[in-house]
Amino acid sequence: MEQESTDAGALLDPLSNPFASLDSLSPDLSSLNDLATRGSWRSILDKVSRSRSLNLLRHPHHHLTYLSFNVLALSKLRRFADASAELESLQDLDSPEYRYESYPKIYPDRSGSMVPFFLRWLHCIVPLRLEQRREGLDRLYRLVDLVREKLKEREANSREESLNVWKRRELFVMNTIIGDHLSHKEFSVCLDLIKDLLSRDCSGLDAVLLSKLGYIQLQVGDLEGAKGAFSRVEGISSEGNSVELKNLVNRNKALIYLVGKDYVSAVREYEVCIERDHMDFVAINNKAICLMYLRDLSDSIKVLENSLERVPMVALNETLVVNLCSMYELAYVNHSEIKKTLSNWIARVAPDDFDSSCTRI
Amino acid sequence: MSTTQASHSLAFRVMRLCRPTLHVDTPLLVDPSDLLVGEDIFDDPLAASQLPRLLSGPGIKPPEDAADLGYRTRFLLHDATDSMGLSGLLLLPQAFGAIYLGETFCSYISINNSSNFEVRDIIIKAEIQTERQRILLLDTSKSSVESIRAGGRYDFIVEHDVKELGAHTLVCTALYNDGDGERKYLPQFFKFIVANPLSVKTKVRVVKDTTFLEACIENHTKTNLYMDQVEFEPAQNWSATKLKADEHHSEMNSAARETFKPPVLIRSGGGIQNYLYQLKSSSQGPEHVKVEGSNVLGKLQITWRTNLGEPGRLQTQQILGAAITRKEIDLQVAEIPATIIFGRSFSALPKVEAFGSSDFHLKLVATKLGVQRITGISVFDYRERKTYDPLPDMEIFVDLE
Repeated sequence: MEQESTDAGALLDPLSNPFASLDSLSPDLSSLNDLATRGSWRSILDKVSRSRSLNLLRHPHHHLTYLSFNVLALSKLRRFADASAELESLQDLDSPEYRYESYPKIYPDRSGSMVPFFLRWLHCIVPLRLEQRREGLDRLYRLVDLVREKLKEREANSREESLNVWKRRELFVMNTIIGDHLSHKEFSVCLDLIKDLLSRDCSGLDAVLLSKLGYIQLQVGDLEGAKGAFSRVEGISSEGNSVELKNLVNRNKALIYLVGKDYVSAVREYEVCIERDHMDFVAINNKAICLMYLRDLSDSIKVLENSLERVPMVALNETLVVNLCSMYELAYVNHSEIKKTLSNWIARVAPDDFDSSCTRI
Repeated sequence: MSTTQASHSLAFRVMRLCRPTLHVDTPLLVDPSDLLVGEDIFDDPLAASQLPRLLSGPGIKPPEDAADLGYRTRFLLHDATDSMGLSGLLLLPQAFGAIYLGETFCSYISINNSSNFEVRDIIIKAEIQTERQRILLLDTSKSSVESIRAGGRYDFIVEHDVKELGAHTLVCTALYNDGDGERKYLPQFFKFIVANPLSVKTKVRVVKDTTFLEACIENHTKTNLYMDQVEFEPAQNWSATKLKADEHHSEMNSAARETFKPPVLIRSGGGIQNYLYQLKSSSQGPEHVKVEGSNVLGKLQITWRTNLGEPGRLQTQQILGAAITRKEIDLQVAEIPATIIFGRSFSALPKVEAFGSSDFHLKLVATKLGVQRITGISVFDYRERKTYDPLPDMEIFVDLE
């Protein structure tokens, strides 16, 4: 268990400081968090079930935290019907039952909602995954309203940290909505929504969001629009030096080359990215694709196989595996053998939530 | 796909190589402050000062050593926009898909030696066969592939601009010496159908001496089509201008305008887009005094783009205009005075030369007040005893002095 070092301004007794460590927030939270970073979602389900049956969850917010992990784990394992049932067991998330002031003995001097925000978000997502799109989208749009209400309240009281958290949540939910429209190919709506987000003051996030605007424009075929978006990104990034931003610019350039069928230049851009950050798996995957369009199937396979070997923690991605299997199907008449080898390796190292149907065996 | 004989050392593998797609995911990624604590906890000043450090501490932020990374990139939200699910990852085409007239068919072809013996002197051919013709895409007869080792491959990429509708067959053949020295012939056939992506309906209207062409494009494909260019190429004696509607309000904001001109997208499976062109006949000379019968106006050139800029282009047939009879005598109102006063004459006929034009003043007297119509002015040729078309009716307003 970690001990929090003393704050410059106030000496806090580690034993009574409710924010000393993850475990002081909720019992065994560091363990739950650790399991989540390993992708051990089945273990999380076990742990939640055990903690509940052993009555280890003493305070109301513990139950909510554990329930959130449970719904998240079920969703990660694609057990959305079970996730939905778990959500149904809750009261209305705005009920007093989930507010600190309803338990003054446990939370003296604290007021507000103890519901983890992610639980509200999951409450919107689960119906979407269960093909109840209208319900899911309605809930998402209502969630945006709720977030905006919270923002208004905090703007009035100028609580900066809280304000920043809710601003980020607004972007998070809006991007989820855009993602849903995108997956249904409702491109005009996506473009309108992104334009709306960009027109507000969100400096710093502009580069990534602008790039995604460019990707949608490329997907749709509006090459001039995409070029415009990407050159605006270059304008922003010249002020910052992060590897991430530099790689973003190079990857955007590569896409423009690819669209112009100049695959050689695209490969060169991706190699610059990989040189800077050997874990840039988007650059790795896309470089392999370009090699294929250059008739170099053997090297494209090698690039993907190497990445799985060297950096599996980022490269083990369903899309990358689908691409590799497509290449195997082209390269080998008897491709089932080599796909089986891949599939066995994946079964040994992959996290619980990895969707192995991507190998198409 | 079919092979003629049971045992061949070689086999063709084919993959359509249209452009890749930018994959859209539905990720479940979390920001720790949304999961590990209650949503309003940051209102508590103590939490606000303590939590940010805790939630970006060693338990949560990515470690220096990559080996300890675990699969946290599949769990933690890195950027708020990650929830859009558009990471920029490209995905290879997963199915043959539909092919439309005007597109370019591109394919990766790999010939594999799955036997245990080297194969020699391979002559490879690839061609497209349609009802009307055979088009050769690849032929290695002049420089045959010397050998393909056991387990080896020879790859090539072919492209063909699709200009016919209906059934097409990609025929791949290999003539080779197998491990026993026997000369073998392997044909493989890959069939696909080419459909029509668009239909174009046109309407021609003549208003006074301007011809308007209305074109309605309907999208029959399964994807949205980005209309890159829809241009009318007029025939020799015509000129054309595209007429645009007033700008959309979003285009008025000039900062948004540069990045963000709304693209012209025709929805898949039946969406339509209308275009309007104004055509003027550019013929003034004596040779074209009387042109009767149908007119060839020109044709539409359409260029569209789909996924990642994949282009397609089509041309319509010649579009015909309405019959135009050029009048021998053309009478037009040059000017009506703004105010016309009751009872006062308001304005008489010079000689008009052949192929000339002349302005003259016609004096008329108004005999009634209010809105009045002038009708029945026409030109009468004394010698030929012929009355020409009357001037179209005019409305005037007659007032008291």
